[in-house]
Amino acid sequence: MLRIQNLTCYYGRIRAIKGVSLSVAKGRIITLIGANGAGKSTILSAICGILGNWEGEITFEGSSLKALDPPSVVKLGISLVPEGRLVFPPLSVMDNLKLGAYTLYRKNNSTAAAETLEQVMDLFPILRQRANQPAGTLSGGEQQMLAIGRALMARPRLLLLDEPSMGLAPQIVEKILQTIEFLRDNGYTILLVEQNARAALEIADRGYVFETGSVVLQGEASSLLEDQDVKRAFLGKDYGDFYEDRQ
Amino acid sequence: MKTANNVGSMTADEKNQLQLERLQSSINRAYRNVPFHRQRFAAAGTEPSHIQSIPDIARLPFMKRKHLSEHYPYDLFAVPLRDIVRIHTAPGTTRNPTVSGYTQQDLHVWQQILARGLHAAGVTPHDILQINLSPGLANWGRDYKRGAELTEASVIPNIPLSIEKKVMLLRDYKTSVLVTTPAMAMELALYIKQQGINTNALELARLILAGDLVTPDNRRFLEETLNVTTWLHYGLSEVPGPAIAFECSQHQGLHINEDHFLAEIVDPDKGTPLPDGEPGELVLTTLTTRAFPLIRFRTGDRASIYTQACGCGSSLRRIQWFAERTDEIMNIDGVNVHGQLVLSNIEETIGRLSGPVYFFVQQVGAKKYLEVWLPVSADIFSDEIKELEKLIHYAENKLRENLGVPVDIRLREKIE
Repeated sequence: MLRIQNLTCYYGRIRAIKGVSLSVAKGRIITLIGANGAGKSTILSAICGILGNWEGEITFEGSSLKALDPPSVVKLGISLVPEGRLVFPPLSVMDNLKLGAYTLYRKNNSTAAAETLEQVMDLFPILRQRANQPAGTLSGGEQQMLAIGRALMARPRLLLLDEPSMGLAPQIVEKILQTIEFLRDNGYTILLVEQNARAALEIADRGYVFETGSVVLQGEASSLLEDQDVKRAFLGKDYGDFYEDRQ
Repeated sequence: MKTANNVGSMTADEKNQLQLERLQSSINRAYRNVPFHRQRFAAAGTEPSHIQSIPDIARLPFMKRKHLSEHYPYDLFAVPLRDIVRIHTAPGTTRNPTVSGYTQQDLHVWQQILARGLHAAGVTPHDILQINLSPGLANWGRDYKRGAELTEASVIPNIPLSIEKKVMLLRDYKTSVLVTTPAMAMELALYIKQQGINTNALELARLILAGDLVTPDNRRFLEETLNVTTWLHYGLSEVPGPAIAFECSQHQGLHINEDHFLAEIVDPDKGTPLPDGEPGELVLTTLTTRAFPLIRFRTGDRASIYTQACGCGSSLRRIQWFAERTDEIMNIDGVNVHGQLVLSNIEETIGRLSGPVYFFVQQVGAKKYLEVWLPVSADIFSDEIKELEKLIHYAENKLRENLGVPVDIRLREKIE
C-alpha cells in the first residue's frame, strides 16, 4: 500500500534520513521504533508532504507522493495524528472533528462529513459526550482520542500516528493501543511511530528499527520483541517502569 | 508483506522491495558493527546509503574464504558474543578453522529454511526421516535435524553407522525419507544391489541429496535401484549452512531462498556481474543473518540463474548448479577441502619436505577420499619401516581429523 525506497531527508545540511526503504501492507500495523532523533517522525513528515525537501521514492497505492503538499496527500487517503496531539484547545470537540473533514467540506460533501462524524463518535463515545466542551478541557487520553478522531474525519485508508502514547499514564496508553488495534481490525492501515517500543511491538504486525537515520533491523514484531539488540536498546524499561521512576 | 511460508507467492515487485529492505538493513548492521566491513567499504569508496537498488550491490567488495580465516575467531561477528548461542567450526583455508556464530534468531531462521526445503520435497508429519551425513558435515546434521523436527516428521538424527547398520535402520525403523550425500547414497544403493535386498521391503520413498552435485546418470541409478524420488539441496559446508537452494516438485534447478539470500552470478576471473542464464561463480549475500553476515561471499561454486519462471509457480529464482568449481577447493562428499590446508597439515605432522606434495580426490566405488602423495626423501626416510608407517598413519589421522574427510597417504619415490 505504502512503499518507500531510498528516502533521504535533510534538515539544512544535516542528512537526517539516509536512504531508508520500507513498506506498509494493507490492513496491518507497521511500527517504526528507535531512539529520540533516529529519524522516525521525519519519515512521517516526508510522507505527509510537510517536509518537502526529500529524495528517493514514496508511493501510495502505486502513485508517487513526490512534490505533493499536505492537503493533496490527505486527499489521496493519508492522515497524520501529530505528535503532542495538537488539538485546538479553545474550539469545541465537535469543531475540532469537523476541521478534520476539511477536504470533504471543500468538495461540498457535507453528507459524507456528517456520516463520518457519526462513525467517529460511535468509535469514541467519549467524544460524543464531550462534543460541546472546549478541547483544551479534555484529559490527555481524551485529547489523543480526539486527535485520532479528527484524522479519521478525512476518511483515510492509511493512518500515520506519531507518538500517540507520549505523556500518557500507562492505563491510558493501554486504551490508546487497544484503539489502534481496533482500527486495524476495522480495515485501517496504520504506520505507528513510537518511542515506547515494547507497547508498539506488542500490537504491531511488523516493525522497523531505526538508528541515526538508517534502518538496522526489520521483521515480524514478535521476533523483534525477542531480539537481544532490540531488548538492550529499547526494551530495558517498559513504560510501567518508566512511569514508576518518575513518581 | 508475506510471511516466511508463502514467500514463493510474492510478485517479483514485492520480492524486490523485501530484498532491498533487508539488504539495506543488513548492510547497515554489518557496517556499524564489523570493522572489517567498514574498512573495506571505505577502501572501495562506498558507504551503505549508496546501495539504492539490488544491482547496486556490485559496488561492494567481495568476501572470500581467506577473509574468514584471517579474522579468526570472532572478528567477523556482528553481534556481541553474549547474543551468540551456537558456534560452528569448519575447516578453513589455513591452519585456522572457519568459525561462524548464530544467534537464537539465526537458528530459528535456519530451522525455517530447512523446513521449507523439506516441505518442498514433500516431507510431512507422517514421514520417518533419517539423516546420514559424513563427519565433516556434522553441522549440517544438526541443521537438518532441527528443520525436520519443524516439519513434525519423526527424525533419526545423524550418527556414524556402518552400511549394514544403516540398512538395518532403514528397514526396521521404516525410514521414508533419507537425507544424505550423493556419494553415500550411491554406496548404499550399490550395497543394496549387491546384497540383493528387496527394496519393496523398505518404506524409503525420498532421498534428499545434500553436499554435492549428483550426475544425471547416478541420479537415475539411485531412483531405479532404491525405487525413490530424489531431491537435491545446495548449501555451503563452512558458512552459513545447508539448503540455501532446494529443488521443488519440478526437479528443474534449485530455488534459492531469496528472502534470506541474495544470489549473484559473477565472472570468476573479472568479478563482474553476469546476466541471468550465463554460467559463472555463485556469490551470496545474507539478508537476515544477525551474527555472521556475508556480503558478496564468493562460493567457488559454478552456477547460472534460470531466466524462466518455474512450473511450480514460485517466484523464488532458480539456479542450475554445475559440477566444476571456480576455485581450487575440492568437494569430498560435501566437505570443502582447501589445498593450502592439506599442505599446512602435512608440514605440521611430517615437517617440511624437499619434494612436491600432490593431492587429489580419489574414488573407489561410490566413496570419495583425499589421496596424498608424499615424495620419499631424506626428510622422512627412516631405516625402520615401522617408524615410517607410524608417521604416515599419524599424518593420515591428523588430516582426517582436521579436514573431516577420509585420507590415504602414499609414498612415491618418483612422482612424474
